[in-house]
Amino acid sequence: MAVLLLTWPAAPRAQAQRSGGTLTIARPVDAVSLDPHFETTAPGAWVYQLILEPLVALGPDMKIKPVLASSYKVLDATRIRFTLRRGVRFHDGTPFNAQAVKFTFERAFDRRNPGRWASLAGPIKGVEVVDDYTVDIVTSEPYAPLLYSVAMVYAGIVSPAAVQRLGPEFSRQPVGTGPFKFQEWRTNDRITVVRNDDYWGPKPYLDRIVFRVIPEESARMIALRTGDVDMVLVPAPAQLGAFRRDPAFTVAEAQGLRVVFVGMNLTRPPLSDVRVRRALVMGTNRKAILDNILEGAGGPADGILAKGVFGYAPMELDKRYPYDPDRARALLQEAGFRPGPDGIMQREGIPLVLTLISARGRYLKDAEIAEAWQAQMRAIGVRVDISFLEWATVFTHVRAATLDYHLFMLGWVTTTADADYSLLPMFRSNMAPPTGWNTWRYVNPEFDRLVDQARVSTKAEERQELYARAQAMIARDIMFIPFYTTKEIAVMRSYVKGFVPHPIEYNQGFAYIWLEK
Amino acid sequence: MIRFIAHRLLALVPVLLGVPLFIMLTIDLIPGDPAALMLGEGATEEMVTALRASLDLDKPLLVRYARYVTRLLHGDLGRSIREGRRVNDEIADVWPATAQLAMAALGLAVAVGIPLGVLSARWPNSWFDNVVRVVTLFGLSMPIFWIGLIFIVVFSLWLGWLPPGGRGGLPHLVLPSVTLALPTIAMLARMTRSAMLEVLREDYIRTAHAKGVPGPRVLLRHALRNAFIPVTTVLGLQTGQLLGGAILTETVFSWPGIGRMLVRAIFARDYVLLQGGVLVLALTFVLVNLAVDLSYAYFDPRISYA
Repeated sequence: MAVLLLTWPAAPRAQAQRSGGTLTIARPVDAVSLDPHFETTAPGAWVYQLILEPLVALGPDMKIKPVLASSYKVLDATRIRFTLRRGVRFHDGTPFNAQAVKFTFERAFDRRNPGRWASLAGPIKGVEVVDDYTVDIVTSEPYAPLLYSVAMVYAGIVSPAAVQRLGPEFSRQPVGTGPFKFQEWRTNDRITVVRNDDYWGPKPYLDRIVFRVIPEESARMIALRTGDVDMVLVPAPAQLGAFRRDPAFTVAEAQGLRVVFVGMNLTRPPLSDVRVRRALVMGTNRKAILDNILEGAGGPADGILAKGVFGYAPMELDKRYPYDPDRARALLQEAGFRPGPDGIMQREGIPLVLTLISARGRYLKDAEIAEAWQAQMRAIGVRVDISFLEWATVFTHVRAATLDYHLFMLGWVTTTADADYSLLPMFRSNMAPPTGWNTWRYVNPEFDRLVDQARVSTKAEERQELYARAQAMIARDIMFIPFYTTKEIAVMRSYVKGFVPHPIEYNQGFAYIWLEK
Repeated sequence: MIRFIAHRLLALVPVLLGVPLFIMLTIDLIPGDPAALMLGEGATEEMVTALRASLDLDKPLLVRYARYVTRLLHGDLGRSIREGRRVNDEIADVWPATAQLAMAALGLAVAVGIPLGVLSARWPNSWFDNVVRVVTLFGLSMPIFWIGLIFIVVFSLWLGWLPPGGRGGLPHLVLPSVTLALPTIAMLARMTRSAMLEVLREDYIRTAHAKGVPGPRVLLRHALRNAFIPVTTVLGLQTGQLLGGAILTETVFSWPGIGRMLVRAIFARDYVLLQGGVLVLALTFVLVNLAVDLSYAYFDPRISYA
């Protein structure tokens, strides 16, 4: 039971920083709402994280840092005690205290109207007020990753007075404690936030940040070139090279947390045979896909967790299953397959044909990757038939456990940045859909014990060790082929300084940007 | 006349009742549970059930429909299921932007398309006529999306004359309204030309010429007025096209209108917002057509609405 006393890291204040000015940022879609408890997509989070602050937050180094809580103490696996910062006020003048924290959690975890954050945060039961500036956050069952749930951008503390006054309108004009205040939202056009001069922490430099909506990819890049906007989020991948070479622009990127993969359905022969699964991995040239299709817009993936997630251990796929088509064919032969007349492997006269379901455009280059992989499989004698379906249909098939496919393309983001969020719902035996996301139907009691133990353990090193063993098991029994981890990329005019890209796409560091022009 | 208008307005009732029902049915048919999709990966079955209940998705279709219609009778389009915001407010935000764009495009189309057609018909098969025919064919066959991007590259990026997108003053309106107007200009020019050629062959035109009525007056007063019936019909239909085409134009030029609101509603599976938007568009379309029908009487006194 460690006591952690943390201080706010001093913002870098070299001589060059300049105050003032407006930063205009272009992004493809408008926010749906600015209510963090109900809206968890990036276009909303990019804005409201400047307005609303959680108790603690994940920094760009993926370490937990204090925000509205000055310190915290893990009491046991169901309870963390937070000491709150004093003298902080919401933008509407309401004082920030234990009651505000309690109000926030009761609102977000209301059973009658569950928010999206509640669906991500684990078994949080509620907040117990110890005194005006101390609260306990408690879970209904032991849950070690609790701190990561509280550190999400969706955990922003709301002004109780404003929520009561505004009702549903709160989602259009949120009131928090953050470095910027909400000013204006013109639907589908722009959202403006202005500097909060009464901010409790280091004051931001910019007077104002304007988030504009420019849906069309090329139009977004042109607006950056003409100087209409200063920064572009979700840039066009094909144009990145040109912007990298141009000194008038800066490209900032961070390794993201989403892994895009092809998963295998273990209940469908021949994928129930581990030799066949290994053959598929060894027949896959992952590097070629990364280099030729993603062109620098994605990073390498070595497992279901991205680097930077707590508990990440590399699966060492390149060592275990290096790209080797000959070895892949040999493995298929061991599994009883023989080359057929058309080059497709056969067993007892039945050709080796696998069906893959994938969306088109849900993940960066998903369809292109599916098609390239299909060609690679053809080279080892496996025919892959791809069904491109609308995203909702893929989602429903995979979630509703319809079994008429062998393979599926999916992306998974470890939203809490803790391995528990992925390893438990995706691989534990009792987590087959629709309960969880064990879409491969992996059953391994030994694995179950490891993740259960890790969930209740409060010792970080022990959890790390347990997760490493769990991931080694997944690597041995291999049931998916990871293709890439997303990258969070922003392109800006080179006079934009101080932007810190963040591995979690929602947590972009806009607060302490300054303009050097 | 008043009875005719009353009849036509009554005919709106089935439209207003039918559109929401149709959208509800479609939402039921589309695979994927809106509640599960909204909560996304990681949601438990219990949460999905709770959300479904709070959105009334667990109620039978007819119950949901009855509730919607009851609210509609009070002029209430409901609350967006993603944002909890009144759909009336949402539409009040985006509707003026779309109307502005569509009206600007319509005005442009009339101001350019009809004169082009008249002049082509006045000198058929001349070099002018040929140029107009080729250019309008081009205008009809180029996708709006592509023309819009070309305009942005040329007029914003290369020449720097006009902003590449967004809604602001008059300069912001130029590129999107011209883009949106192009197919309508082309359509109107061709329609006017052929209608004029038809009319110019009529006896009364020859009579007018024989009487010594000046050429331009024959063209505009006698011929154009009669050619206007088919042109007006096309104009009415094109107005609907303009509203629909606005979805693409609004996307290319980042124009904050109803088209993009609909796209957003579809992606968010927000069927209440979708219903409201489609309803308002359908209503506009019907009213525009009513206006077109009424204008027939002005252009052709033989038509009466008794």
